[in-house]
Amino acid sequence: MSSNRTFRGGVHPLHGSHEGKAPTRGEAVRDYIAQTVTILMGMHLGAPSTPCVQVGDHVKLGQPIGEPVGFLGLPVHASVSGEVVAVGPVQSVTNPSAMAVTIKNDFKDEWVPLNPLGDVETCPADQIVPAIKAAGVCGMGGASFPTHVKFAVKEGQYCDTIILNGAECETHLTCDHRLMLEDSKRIVDGLRAAMRALGVKKGVIAIEDNKPDAIEAMRKAAQGREGVEVMPLLTKYPQGGEKQLIHVVTGREVPTKKLPLDVHVIVLNVGTAKAIADAVIDGRPLISRITTVTGHVKKPSNLRVRVGTPVSDLIRECGGYSIPESDVGKVVMGGAMTGFPCPHDRVPVAKANNGVVVYSQREAVELEESPCIRCGRCIDACPIGLNPCKLKYLCDAGDMKRAGEENVMDCVVCGSCSYICPARRRLTTSFKAMKDKIAAEARKGKG
Amino acid sequence: MNLHLSPAPHVHSPQSTRVLMLNVIVALLPCVIAGVWVFGFAALATVLVSTVAAVLGELVWQALTKQKVRVDDLSAAVTGLILGLNLPAGAPWWLAALGGVFAVVIVKGLFGGLGDNFINPALAARAMLLASWPKYLTHWPAPAGVDAVTAATPLASPGSYTTAQLFLGRIPGAIGEVCKLAILIGFVYLVVTKTISWRIPVAMVASAALCGWVLGANPVATALSGGLLFGAVFMATDYVTCPMTVPGQWVYAVGAGLLVAIFRRFSVYPEGVTYAILLANISAPLLDRCFRRRVYGHEKGEKA
Repeated sequence: MSSNRTFRGGVHPLHGSHEGKAPTRGEAVRDYIAQTVTILMGMHLGAPSTPCVQVGDHVKLGQPIGEPVGFLGLPVHASVSGEVVAVGPVQSVTNPSAMAVTIKNDFKDEWVPLNPLGDVETCPADQIVPAIKAAGVCGMGGASFPTHVKFAVKEGQYCDTIILNGAECETHLTCDHRLMLEDSKRIVDGLRAAMRALGVKKGVIAIEDNKPDAIEAMRKAAQGREGVEVMPLLTKYPQGGEKQLIHVVTGREVPTKKLPLDVHVIVLNVGTAKAIADAVIDGRPLISRITTVTGHVKKPSNLRVRVGTPVSDLIRECGGYSIPESDVGKVVMGGAMTGFPCPHDRVPVAKANNGVVVYSQREAVELEESPCIRCGRCIDACPIGLNPCKLKYLCDAGDMKRAGEENVMDCVVCGSCSYICPARRRLTTSFKAMKDKIAAEARKGKG
Repeated sequence: MNLHLSPAPHVHSPQSTRVLMLNVIVALLPCVIAGVWVFGFAALATVLVSTVAAVLGELVWQALTKQKVRVDDLSAAVTGLILGLNLPAGAPWWLAALGGVFAVVIVKGLFGGLGDNFINPALAARAMLLASWPKYLTHWPAPAGVDAVTAATPLASPGSYTTAQLFLGRIPGAIGEVCKLAILIGFVYLVVTKTISWRIPVAMVASAALCGWVLGANPVATALSGGLLFGAVFMATDYVTCPMTVPGQWVYAVGAGLLVAIFRRFSVYPEGVTYAILLANISAPLLDRCFRRRVYGHEKGEKA
């Protein structure tokens, strides 16, 4: 089942230790239900939703508690039933003042009335996208782009292929792997719903070849389903990057500054497909997700948690830290290549948080940058074909014009160059900062 | 709990600059051992003097110029070691020391330090010594046990040595370059540890042998004579001064091999590897400009 399908460049982080996935890939998903959840209003890319409940309100499971704002807006739903105990800003992973609604769980799990559409093959196709939006579905692989916006095909555009991203190329994470093993049919249902919504004939489920059991399970689930195929890919980071995945699966490249739809493709994470199936078949909003908890915890696990569960609850459910608390150096939300470091361990899990990885102080110490030795490893590793070595000088000098000419805006911030650099230069960090600066400048120009 | 907030990626390749330099040092050890076997302990003394001089030179230079002292990245040790292996066994100690200091201070430090030198420091130092004190670098001690004080190298008197002698190194020459077996062991180690790619050494030696053959030399003798193999494995592959792009590396290596063949055939010196690699070094930045990878989602050569 091994595969040669891949892209040019890339790296093999933690390759000697199975990408850090070994401790959790055999761990079946178990449920954990928190006593109190803090649900962020800004879990998707786009303007945060507006809270529509007040302290003291009683909410049911799945009840809307945040109303969508703007073009990329999404509703937010209560992930437990119970009493609203706080509405106000809290610390999230990346935002020190993020609007959130805190609910104390009454453990009754009383659902609001739902509007199921029923079987994905027979339900009315034109109601699928509205159902996805109403369920608050956004990309669950990390970027959290509102899913219904991906389906907004403009005049003159069309989509001929939907790719389900089951590559899970990030280190440590096995939540998608477990989902593919344990909920294969739902994933295919979600894919079929997406295909029917846009009249797409071809659906490809792409999986790295380090998950042969998931490939097998998905093949079985895809049998007899119209237009659905499973494609094994070589195990290499960032195989699951959207641009890399599209190129590997379809042979097409997304032109610079364009979107996947411009090459007639939509890419969805397998977790998103499952959420789509839940939204369509049961009318259920997105209120829980699977998160891999690993690193220095006593019992590394895959937990199905309600959105808004504090990270500290996840750690406790996994037996607590396996090292003294004073030796905990970093708690990362996501994998080792692109995850975000948490400012403290009480931040809540959002819709796109696929993992929590605990590092020791020794592992977390930031390595000192030393002079570039021009070994060219970053150039070989860049999946986009940039010259990170040269770009770093331009970015550090603040030369926006020349950094732009060297295509810094095409950087996908995958971290491959920083990972491979023997001089430990923080290349990706410089590029991210420069991209943000150029984007901010462009917005200013428009406004 | 005191959490670090440094951004992704949170893991790094185990191959740091120091690990890579250490790999080169390990790969050079067979050459040092072979040098001692061929020329006796005078060879070891020469190598040690140039290495210590390079490390001390860098340390003092960085301290005097108020830079962070980075001799622990081992790059100066590699430079000194390679320079020593390029010298004749028993070269005057001041010659070896001067070469080591010149390499790290003049060629490397003055141009900005590691990564910013435009030519290989060890080779530049060797070229300087050759130009300034030619009598020490054109008269080579014969292998220990051979009845001669100095002898002609295989390049100066072609056909006087068997292929086995050339391969094992019982011939006059610089300490590190004589034993081809030791160099090949080092080469395999560097490739297996992914410190270097096989590309530059193989392309350079093949190009020199082929071009030499066109110009009338025996290709096997070309490959096994003088400093070609040592230069191709340990000096042409210097990260700082070779191209970073794969096509650039091909052109660079083939070009360096061609220059070796031309210098050996037409120049007044029997040896041309030093100047061939130095000239190729200078072309490296240009080659990198010529061979840029196409950027994803762009047409070839398209700018943003």
